[in-house]
Amino acid sequence: MVKKITIFTSDTCGYCHMVKTYLKAKGMGYEEVNLDRVPERRAEAHRLSGALTVPVTVVTKTDDSQEIIVGYNLAKLAPAVN
Amino acid sequence: MSEQIKHEVIMIGAGPAALTAAIYTTREDIDTLLIEKGVVGGLAAVTDVIDNYPGFAKGVKGLDLADDLRQQAERFGTEIELAEVSELIKEDKLIRLKTTAGEMVADAVLIATGCDYKRTGIPGEEKYYARGVHFCATCDGAFYRDKRLVVIGGGNSAFQESIFLTRYANHIDILVRSQIKASDVLQKEMQPFIDQGKVSVHLGVTPLEIVGDENGVTAVNGTDANGNKVEFKTDGVFEFIGLKPNTSFLRESGVRLNEQGFVITDENLETSIEGVFAAGDVRSGATMQIASASGEGATAALKIREYLEGRLHNSELRQLEVNP
Repeated sequence: MVKKITIFTSDTCGYCHMVKTYLKAKGMGYEEVNLDRVPERRAEAHRLSGALTVPVTVVTKTDDSQEIIVGYNLAKLAPAVN
Repeated sequence: MSEQIKHEVIMIGAGPAALTAAIYTTREDIDTLLIEKGVVGGLAAVTDVIDNYPGFAKGVKGLDLADDLRQQAERFGTEIELAEVSELIKEDKLIRLKTTAGEMVADAVLIATGCDYKRTGIPGEEKYYARGVHFCATCDGAFYRDKRLVVIGGGNSAFQESIFLTRYANHIDILVRSQIKASDVLQKEMQPFIDQGKVSVHLGVTPLEIVGDENGVTAVNGTDANGNKVEFKTDGVFEFIGLKPNTSFLRESGVRLNEQGFVITDENLETSIEGVFAAGDVRSGATMQIASASGEGATAALKIREYLEGRLHNSELRQLEVNP
């Protein structure tokens, strides 16, 4: 079960838009961390994902385990949030 | 037996060509589904600013144009399924699609899957993918504030994305294998950054290897026009070396492709398979312009309507297939 979803995004990133669109279509809530507005959290996104890119989606389950999805990757995002 | 999902028209892709086509078909109450595996709006949606799309005197953000096109299409009843098509099969009068959202059939199909950026395939590209090697400046550029970058490519995308990256990077080396192919307009826009010393353009450079350490990319090695070894120190690499069509799912379909994998169509934008049309960047002969893709989308929609009404004349392309 999903407890929380956090998406690291930027203002200009089309793929970030798609992650949000997908979650909205599924009726799922999420916290958005826009790295253009809070650049001090860029290192956190990098540390979690190991990647210098957005979107990074962090799916926290009810047992507090986390699944990190780098980019807009439906094959990984869909099973992680369902 | 489960109920089969059927639509009058399924459009594969949801870039400017398909969204425009869908505006036309759904306005005429033709039941239309779009299937998109990536970004609604296609490459336009990951382009910072589009300056040459008619109707926007001050240019338009790619993401905004994509969103407006989507909303306009949805206003008339277009549905968009976020899924990937793996196979297209012609069955008598219907076309069957195998997708990650299940099998679907349609009376007519529009292939509007567009293109993705080619990759150099040089050593280090895969190893440092998303950790120093990138293909989307609007997604990843912000990670390179006050850093050095290398951009590989000399076409419109390379120049446009480099201009975007100057917001962040303190210096950009653009490596061009042969000659600059970017438009005069983009070259003029780039000139002030060259004059300021923020961008250097290197002609005749062939990148051979992306190297790095545990922290990421450190340099691009290659050869210059004389075959001498050259090294460009960098914190990251963005590649924009041209486009390849998204047509791998058509491999077994019978849809005729050209040598580069682009879809061949006749004057009606119909492919070698009856009822299957193509428009936009994926089509052989496409000009890779958003305005052209939208125009082709409109044309394809009108031809699809004629096809559904049984008014489209026999394709010369298919006659050639029968009588080569």
